[in-house]
Amino acid sequence: MSKLLSTIKEAVVNRKRKEIEGLVGEAIEAGIDPTTIINKGLIEAMDVVGEQFSASDIFVPEMLASALTMKMGLEKVKPLLTSADQPSRGTVLMGTVKGDMHDIGKNIVNMMLEGAGFTVVDLGVDLTLEKLMEEIERLKPDLLGLSALLTTVIPEMERAVREIGEKGLRKNMKIMVGGAPISKTFAEKIGADGHGADAAEAVALAKRLMGE
Amino acid sequence: MKSTSYNLIMSALYKGMKGERPPVGNPTSIICHGLMDLCGISFPEAHLEPQAMAELALAGHEILGFDTVMPEYSVDQEAAALGCKVDWGDRNRMPDSRHFPYEDFSDVKIPDDFLEKPSIRVVLDALSILRRHVGGKAAIIGKVMGPWTLSYHMAGTQNFLLQIGIEEKEKVHRMIRQLMPATVASARAQFQAGADIVVLADHATGNLVSPRHYEEFLLPIHRELTSTIEGPLILHVCGNCTDRLEMFADAGFDAYHFEWQVDAKTAVEKIGHRMCLVGNVNNPEVLYQGTPEDVYKQVRYAIEAGVDIIGPECAIPLATPIENLRAIVSAAHEGY
Repeated sequence: MSKLLSTIKEAVVNRKRKEIEGLVGEAIEAGIDPTTIINKGLIEAMDVVGEQFSASDIFVPEMLASALTMKMGLEKVKPLLTSADQPSRGTVLMGTVKGDMHDIGKNIVNMMLEGAGFTVVDLGVDLTLEKLMEEIERLKPDLLGLSALLTTVIPEMERAVREIGEKGLRKNMKIMVGGAPISKTFAEKIGADGHGADAAEAVALAKRLMGE
Repeated sequence: MKSTSYNLIMSALYKGMKGERPPVGNPTSIICHGLMDLCGISFPEAHLEPQAMAELALAGHEILGFDTVMPEYSVDQEAAALGCKVDWGDRNRMPDSRHFPYEDFSDVKIPDDFLEKPSIRVVLDALSILRRHVGGKAAIIGKVMGPWTLSYHMAGTQNFLLQIGIEEKEKVHRMIRQLMPATVASARAQFQAGADIVVLADHATGNLVSPRHYEEFLLPIHRELTSTIEGPLILHVCGNCTDRLEMFADAGFDAYHFEWQVDAKTAVEKIGHRMCLVGNVNNPEVLYQGTPEDVYKQVRYAIEAGVDIIGPECAIPLATPIENLRAIVSAAHEGY
């Protein structure tokens, strides 16, 4: 069993997109518990990938390929999960702020959060404040993740955080922010609840904000 | 040497004589709401109309006191000419491409009338207008996208980077090479239209792709570009590129425009003897959120470090307070 799980882990780390579904299939057939496949195979792999990324051993292209490999594996196992197997850690609403079409970082964070057991609702890119408010009121998420890549749009992130607060929508929801130009100092200045420098940090932050 | 705007910039570009003070330049957009209001020209017309484009660029020199004029505010001019559908945005929003014509990595076709496409023509005409107004007085800067950035526009950034991640190297090499002539044509035309210098922006950004990726995929292409395009080129690559600075010098660029994540002292130490350095006032925390005093400190730090031309690190947020842009100029006017 552990041999198969470590092969799955290696496949994710080494971005073997073509092999992952077959390997996960084998693990399922071998009777390995779906949550074990997720936690000991797929997620442990992404922990390794996250560390490699933080250490600049790999960059976004490799991270992206690994995350997509993990997601393919996850999709294969998911139908076998019952809600009792993996209760959601919380609902996260994710989006790239208005004026910005960049979503790679956000997409990687989404995949990592899903892998970690969060329910992720992705609102996409170029997100208007109206749409964002509407979805917060409708879905009542535990966390909101806002992303920005362009330095030209960072005022939009500040505005979103401020107006969501003014509308009283932060009582039961924490806001995390990230993206290349966003620093911890900036996140603090605009009053966000936390900042993740990369995808692994974002997942750790989400867990922390959920009080884990 | 007379310390005119033009002389200061051109001399600094070639690391020549120093004038009375360090020059202030903007290889990327310095347009903010305050500047739009002062000259009565706004986006999107300044992306689309040559006269509006040129006049807004002039405001950077005449109103703010920058030593350069740079009329291209978006990164989408070539993309639009190559078939991307571009949303030109509005006063509060920069343009963006919304459709990727070569998502399937099929062969890229550069149209025969590429230089006559409206999004290219507007920049060429604006450069000529600027030449007539401030030629020999302020340095006129053009801007083109390199083949790496164009690949993001053609295939979609995530899609393009994923091909690198899954080692579809041939696809990546082919797309970059096929796009290179668009960069060359655009740059040459900008020089002919009146640019003194052209910025070549190619977003092999630090933290996004590795120095190995740059070396493998882009360095050979950049070497070709710098030997093919005759005029002076400033390379612009965002992010923390401390790990690849030497390669930018190896590529043969005359200057590098860099962000605050690269420490000015480190940059000067590593490549200051090989190329001109332009930058690197922080946008989010200093120019946008900081005070003129914060700007002053960063500018003086960069000057003391030996940065040759002082300016914002990248295109500034549209809501940047105009007094912070003026603070760059006044800090540089204190001299060396």
